[in-house]
Amino acid sequence: MFEQILVNGLLAGLIYVIMALGFTLIFGIMRIVNFAHGEFYMLGAVVVLVLFGQMGWPFFMAVIAGGVVSGLLGLVLERLLFRRIVGDEMAGMIMSLAIGIILQSVALIVFGPAEQTVTRPFSGTWSLGGAMVPWDRTIVALCALAIIVVFYIFLKFSRLGLAMQAVAQDPDTSSLMGVESGSVYAASFSIACVLAGLGGALMAPIYTIGPYMGELPMLKAFVVVILGGLGSLPGAVAGGLLIGLSESVLATHLDATAALIASFVIVLLVVITRPTGLMGRSVR
Amino acid sequence: MKRTVLTCVALLALLSSLWLFGNNYVLHIATMVVIMAPMALSLNIMMKLGQLSIAQPAFMGIGAYGAALLTMRLGVPPLLSMLAGATIAAAMAAISGPVFLRIKGVYFVLLTYAFSQVVNLVFQEWVSLFGGNSGLYGIPKFSLFGFRLTQVHHYFALGLVFTALTYTAMRAIERSDIGAIFESLNENEMLSRSLGSNALAWRTAAYTFSAFVAGVAGAIYAFYIGFLSPDPFGFRASVDLIVINAVGGVNLVLGPMLGSLFIVPLPELLRDAREYQLLVYGVCLMVFVVFLKQGLVSLFQSPKKGVRA
Repeated sequence: MFEQILVNGLLAGLIYVIMALGFTLIFGIMRIVNFAHGEFYMLGAVVVLVLFGQMGWPFFMAVIAGGVVSGLLGLVLERLLFRRIVGDEMAGMIMSLAIGIILQSVALIVFGPAEQTVTRPFSGTWSLGGAMVPWDRTIVALCALAIIVVFYIFLKFSRLGLAMQAVAQDPDTSSLMGVESGSVYAASFSIACVLAGLGGALMAPIYTIGPYMGELPMLKAFVVVILGGLGSLPGAVAGGLLIGLSESVLATHLDATAALIASFVIVLLVVITRPTGLMGRSVR
Repeated sequence: MKRTVLTCVALLALLSSLWLFGNNYVLHIATMVVIMAPMALSLNIMMKLGQLSIAQPAFMGIGAYGAALLTMRLGVPPLLSMLAGATIAAAMAAISGPVFLRIKGVYFVLLTYAFSQVVNLVFQEWVSLFGGNSGLYGIPKFSLFGFRLTQVHHYFALGLVFTALTYTAMRAIERSDIGAIFESLNENEMLSRSLGSNALAWRTAAYTFSAFVAGVAGAIYAFYIGFLSPDPFGFRASVDLIVINAVGGVNLVLGPMLGSLFIVPLPELLRDAREYQLLVYGVCLMVFVVFLKQGLVSLFQSPKKGVRA
């Protein structure tokens, strides 16, 4: 029983981490709360639906394509729209709301409101201690873990990754040091969208696919990021796993709605007592 | 200034022509406009303070359910229960304000978001009191000194009066010293506080007032529609209010009024093309953020005032 709760929590948590990393990256660097983040997740899933489900591409090719498409769209949107309003938090929120609405409605027009499914590329279960773990979830979790590790290496060791960290810490000083903030904005926004797209693409066979599927993961990313601290990457990882585990515990012992209310109350308490989150820095 | 007066007159003329010539369907849309306009104004107060509140629809819901339940279960006269419902909403804002309003920017958005989710979940889950997702039926009609409001145009009039009251109150606040304090709090809080304004108290006052307005709007909605479900008080309603403010313009009180006039009827105009509703909505919002940051109202402003941009 205990192992099962732990495993379920970790499996769910890893996907939350991927969503939250992108969300918090965009905020940390551009000071934009990306309300459209869930729609990039949806886009990744839709790409898998079309390429893997309908055109018969191999699953992992379709997943990578989902990340790429989502990242490219992010790049275009950053260049055309978000770049104009960096520094204006209110306008950023409204802009991302608008983009979220537009992406949802395009999906609604193209695919209709019906939820669709993709056949699962993996099936069966294996046991870990006393817990039964479905294979498809395991694959998703392993991929998520790999993505997180790659992202970490990229941030720590690549020039661009270091530049991104520098801009997040202090945009003025880093631009004095020769970091071109424009390309850092573009890179971080599209990388965040790649992460969201990959998350959606990986989850496509597990949940149903529809225009509104991004809303719940977006909400979770929100909660995770508040808990971990907006703009903090380690916070996103810790918050994601914590939310995954606590949801798994609450959902086993209480009903789902009580768990949801409890998680919002926790968020209220965290924001009130420690507004910068568990690992966040104070706002400049 | 002259232009503002002219626009007001034009608005009034438009509204009264609706009354005279409109059929019930048009009147229904007009009634929704005058219910949403005070809601948009209530968000406008908070946006002017630089705090984007996602909690306004939650306050509307509290006012709506409060008023409806007081009249249905306890037989309180509608006018009293309307005021009581709004007072409950205002009281919740007054209690939560000193805690919430310490927090700025994005965190305030998240906080009010979580608050409104909790309120909405309570509406959904406390079925014995609020009727849950299947809704609260059979709310009696509004009555005022023995006169029962049964027709659509009665409610239109009620909403119009309340909208006018809210607008006048907000204009008065804006022109008064209090308005100057609010502006200074948004522009430079440190400076404002150093000159002796109690930032938190003023913010809480504004928040409480905005919740009261939202509560009354909710009560009018409840008595007009006669049926309540948690759905209209969720996150989407907040998005609507933000769209209205962004499209109309935040800087002037007239902005949200114009915004509601354009945005509220939009879903009805696009009734035949339901899937395109959202698209038009999103595109509108984006165009206004990029090209017309000050909103529709800036088109009516004399260029002298445009220095701010």
